[in-house]
Amino acid sequence: MGRIQLHDIRKSFGAIDVLKGIDLTIDEGELVVFVGPSGCGKSTLLRMIAGLDKPTAGRIEIDGTDVTPRSAADRGLAMVFQSYALYPHMTVRANMAFGLQNTRMPKAEIDTRIAEAAKMLEIEPLLERRPGQLSGGQRQRVAIGRAIVRRPTAFLLDEPLSNLDAELRVSMRAELSALHDRLGATMIHVTHDQVEAMTMADRIVVLRAGQVEQVDTPLNLFNRPANLFVAGFIGAPGMNLWAGQAMGGSVQLDNGALLPLPQGLVVPDGPVTFGIRPQHLRPQPGGPLQARVRLIEALGPESVVHADVGIGGGLLAVLPGQPDLARGALIELGYDPQSVHVFGADGQRLG
Amino acid sequence: MTGVKGVLGAVVAAPLGWLARLLDTPLRLWQRLAGQNGMVAFFLLPNMAIFTVFVLLPLVINIAYSMTTGAALFLPERTYVGAAQFERLLRCTDYTDLMTCQEDQFWIALRNTGTFVVLQVSLLIVAATITALILNRALRALSFWRAVFFFPVLLSPVVVGLIWRWILDRNGVLNAALVGMGMDPVNWLLERNYAFSAAIGVTIWAHLGFFALILLAGLQAIPRDLYEAAEMDGTRPARVFWRITLPLLMPNMLVVIVLALIRAVQVFDEAYVLTGGGPGTATLFLTQYIYEVGFASLLKNPGLAAAASILMGGVLIVLTLLQLALGKRNERRGKLK
Repeated sequence: MGRIQLHDIRKSFGAIDVLKGIDLTIDEGELVVFVGPSGCGKSTLLRMIAGLDKPTAGRIEIDGTDVTPRSAADRGLAMVFQSYALYPHMTVRANMAFGLQNTRMPKAEIDTRIAEAAKMLEIEPLLERRPGQLSGGQRQRVAIGRAIVRRPTAFLLDEPLSNLDAELRVSMRAELSALHDRLGATMIHVTHDQVEAMTMADRIVVLRAGQVEQVDTPLNLFNRPANLFVAGFIGAPGMNLWAGQAMGGSVQLDNGALLPLPQGLVVPDGPVTFGIRPQHLRPQPGGPLQARVRLIEALGPESVVHADVGIGGGLLAVLPGQPDLARGALIELGYDPQSVHVFGADGQRLG
Repeated sequence: MTGVKGVLGAVVAAPLGWLARLLDTPLRLWQRLAGQNGMVAFFLLPNMAIFTVFVLLPLVINIAYSMTTGAALFLPERTYVGAAQFERLLRCTDYTDLMTCQEDQFWIALRNTGTFVVLQVSLLIVAATITALILNRALRALSFWRAVFFFPVLLSPVVVGLIWRWILDRNGVLNAALVGMGMDPVNWLLERNYAFSAAIGVTIWAHLGFFALILLAGLQAIPRDLYEAAEMDGTRPARVFWRITLPLLMPNMLVVIVLALIRAVQVFDEAYVLTGGGPGTATLFLTQYIYEVGFASLLKNPGLAAAASILMGGVLIVLTLLQLALGKRNERRGKLK
């Protein structure tokens, strides 16, 4: 159980449309990540699903039942808040028991559930402490534990890792994924961090300005972004995107460079945007791209090269190892035409 | 601007500079003589002098008064009687019957004040909490309502008393309204229980806004997500209040309770203007008793009044210490978070 369907969900605050018609199906047991820049409506959408906010229009179904008019409590969902929202005056145990006591569950059953969840999350020694006596990571676990004990139809996680330091975030990311595998429950995770989305999700929903830009698996988003926004948003560092003119199987940039397109890709002549990921560029004497090195970020196993191609927009290349380059040097780069992305004048992917 | 600045410079800064230069040498000399601690004492002296003259000295004189008797105002002309005034205040033949006490008025005032404190403070806290809870909702024109509830706090207590006397008087506004509606007028201020209730009601009205504001600040400091988490858990509103709102409001609530207790023990002006302590002694409170014994009655007895005020001061000191202790505890808790 835990199939969630959204039908044309809209939300307006006064004259401002925050969500502009979202249709989405989240399958049972799936871990779906909503990702997008600040203000794209991802948290608002999660709150609609939770029942904390009502949509202006549209329908939310859980396991085939229309839950739109139902209160948050009657939807059988559990939420983990960005701030954890633990009750500061209660012990960890009381925090976890609070929601269950509302349902008049027998005490023995409550104790069993807390013991199970505490064991799973390794927070058994913390049960009698208060949230103020816990570290950020421990609070995070307690917040998840509080959700687990309710055995919800689905878990809703609102930026649950954003208050943790970078190191802890990486380990909690892995733990959340493992927890999802173990519980097999539907999870919706909201984040603005595309790395978090890429590493955790079964499917990613990319949102922008209240609309779904693309829904797909992480690798499909990376390999075949549906439009310019997704191309620029997914992947780090971001994709190189240059405006040019398509003509006879190549794209000519404003600086005159002629960039070949993959064979078999039919692109009508006219204005297009040429995209190539920094990781797909490689040094190639006499290659089609010439650029002047502006900055080198040597990371050890690879180096990020910032360069100018003479058309306003810069160039980013992630080159393996520690290439012997100096600032101001001219480099020649090539690529495998199969790794190229082309977008039409309307921003949509071609081919 | 430069003109104004120039004038200001000439009128204010120049003489100050001149004064500073004038004082510089003697002050340095004085510092060398008195040492650093001496200088600290030197600068504290003016404040200490004011405190001594207006707080410490009256306190000491009051204690001295409480050990003397007679109607004479000047201390040297008064007769020393030791603890006799305290004995007189506290002596009763039968403590279950206040009429057997030597100073039955003191005991009546004490009993009235005790009843008043318990009733007024508990009702005030409930009313202030309800007001704060309502104000904490996203009401329309919230600032307007906040101002409405806070407005009585800005009034002078005497004005509060006069306004309500005008309303509750036998020929007052309320009775005029009752008669207008075809009902019989009620002697609000001349019936014992009504008058006592009026004293409670009016002081609550006058102080409600202040305490509601403190509680409102506490309510607004409770994070919204806690309520949303409770909503996700299907928590009933009453349980949300008892298990989440009230415990998290407790630091502010304790401050409110202690402050309200202190104010209630000191009740005087509103009640005095409203009922004058009557009917009979129905609304005679401690402060009014002290005032009347010391200054207003025909048989002035400043010694007795001083003794009573010292006893009342003792109660207030206990309450103040309690408040300080609570404040420190909150501070420590705040640091823990």
